[in-house]
Amino acid sequence: MEAVEKVVAQIQGLSGSVADLGQLHHVLKQSDELLRSNSARLGPFLDQLDPSLHSLGFLYLLDAYTSSPIPREQANEVVLLIARFINSCLAGQIRLAHDKDQVMVLEAPIRGVAPMLTAIRKIRPSSEHLTTLHPDFLFLCILAKFYKTGLCVLEDDVFEVDQPRDLFLYCYYGGMIYIGLKRFGKALELLHNVVTAPMSTLSAIAVEAYKKYILVSLIHLGQFSSHFPKYTSSVAQRSLKNFCQIYLELAIRYSSGNIADLETFVQGNKEKFEADNNMGLVKQVVSSIYKRNIQRLTQTYLTLSLEDIATTVKLSSPKEAEMHVLQMIQDGQIHATINQKDGMVRFLEDPEQYKTCGMIEHMDCSIQRIITLSKKLTAVDELISCDPLYLAKVGKERQRFDFDDFDSVPQKFNI
Amino acid sequence: MDFSPLTDAIASRFYDKIADICDNLMLHVAAEGIVFQCEWPYAIHLLGHIYAGDINSARFLWKSIPSEIKDSQPELIAAWRIGQKLWTRDYDGVYEAIRGFNWGPQTQPIVAAFSGKSAYCSSAAGRDVTVQTESYTKKMFQLLLDAYSTISVQDTALFLGMSEDDATKYVLQEGWILDSASRMFTVKKQSIVAEQKLDPSKLQRLTEYVFQLEH
Repeated sequence: MEAVEKVVAQIQGLSGSVADLGQLHHVLKQSDELLRSNSARLGPFLDQLDPSLHSLGFLYLLDAYTSSPIPREQANEVVLLIARFINSCLAGQIRLAHDKDQVMVLEAPIRGVAPMLTAIRKIRPSSEHLTTLHPDFLFLCILAKFYKTGLCVLEDDVFEVDQPRDLFLYCYYGGMIYIGLKRFGKALELLHNVVTAPMSTLSAIAVEAYKKYILVSLIHLGQFSSHFPKYTSSVAQRSLKNFCQIYLELAIRYSSGNIADLETFVQGNKEKFEADNNMGLVKQVVSSIYKRNIQRLTQTYLTLSLEDIATTVKLSSPKEAEMHVLQMIQDGQIHATINQKDGMVRFLEDPEQYKTCGMIEHMDCSIQRIITLSKKLTAVDELISCDPLYLAKVGKERQRFDFDDFDSVPQKFNI
Repeated sequence: MDFSPLTDAIASRFYDKIADICDNLMLHVAAEGIVFQCEWPYAIHLLGHIYAGDINSARFLWKSIPSEIKDSQPELIAAWRIGQKLWTRDYDGVYEAIRGFNWGPQTQPIVAAFSGKSAYCSSAAGRDVTVQTESYTKKMFQLLLDAYSTISVQDTALFLGMSEDDATKYVLQEGWILDSASRMFTVKKQSIVAEQKLDPSKLQRLTEYVFQLEH
């Protein structure tokens, strides 16, 4: 116990200047073992420290304290302690101990949301960094049903990742949040990242993400292409489909546009979809097929009676067809006017003429973003081409190919 | 718990801020480990989301409310009924849900502002407050304007949540034409707002991009 007291005294003495902190960090690393072996008795020592002054020491003590299982009745107290610590700690001191941020939250997910958000903001060096806390935070948001709060992290573009697993989970949970908020476009983007990210072995995250990716693609785009982009890892290309057979079959049935067929298929495989917790999405796929079929009609006809729409799309009455068309107009999915007097629908062209101020602003914004992105890519490219590991690998390959075999000019541009 | 930002927002009729204030407050209170569920103003929180048009958040909030609280607060259930009707696009059901409950003094102004019945009121301080979110009635009128070229009197009344006479008065003011034989309105499309003035510097920038790409 005396040894612990000594460590606490050192924490109190060495938390002042930057130079002292470096030394303290060293001391703490050495005494980590000691602290852990005394973990159950650390509670009173934590009271002697002020988290806003002795953040680094506090973190080490806290980490040791929570390393042994905590009895249920104390859990409440500990969670509160952690929450208050995160709120008051100094960002600078914490970043030193970057690898030690495994703060865990026990029960009641909602209690963790706010502290986690504060922690992320304090720990990350910039908004482009993905920390290990990101996926946990999103997961808590989902559990606590605070989907909207998750957005404030998701809206930052990620550029720096330490652990691949973080990225997988971040994109997967992020996709789920966007699905919950019905922003399918963004969800598709994130899930696509999971599926196509480099991986050496197939992970369960990728499999689940691929299942959701198929469903969201059907809802949002009305189609699904089973071809992987070229940059997908070979593991994913080879084996991902084997795990998602019924989803792929669902996509095939969907593309035929036959509602009755789709519904029987879903009924028949209900248990499998339910076991995957995807039944809600599957139901949305089924109801989206009506819209898909109506959208197809707009490509063929200029005007069509509500009655004809109802029969082709297999809705029970013209009134129901009217309501579907109305909803689609409301959501901006089609452009049309309904003439109730004659019972006709007139399909129109997109009225957007791309000449308003707002549109120009939008274009300008997009171009600016692309320019920044392209600059970043060039920088990364340069960095990689200077990397000794990369050069060594390329050097080995070069023996097999003659240098003239490489055509450095792209064959065609895809614009 | 300190509800003063919330009461301030309600008093100054910034109903669109309710949802954010409530969300943040709830996270803050929860992080402190206070058991807040019993005295939380769920009905106002829910109406805040509905007012802001964020029906997804309203849905998730509803799902997170413990069932014994749902059972004990009829006003909360009534508020969710509005959300439910919006969610299922039961256009006239929304009005029924609004009318079908005797709202308390705190919730009544929010519901009224949402449905558009008292949009012209000015605040307690006497200054006019611009209503940020368009009322539901207005939104429905805009939808009819976008989607129909002719529509029956009966349906118009349903969509606008008014009696047929009131609805007729309302749309005739907007220039619609009534064909009394068939009881149909011909919708008058509003002329598109005049082209906004372009900022020449923006155009200059776009020109430079294109120039860059071509050379």
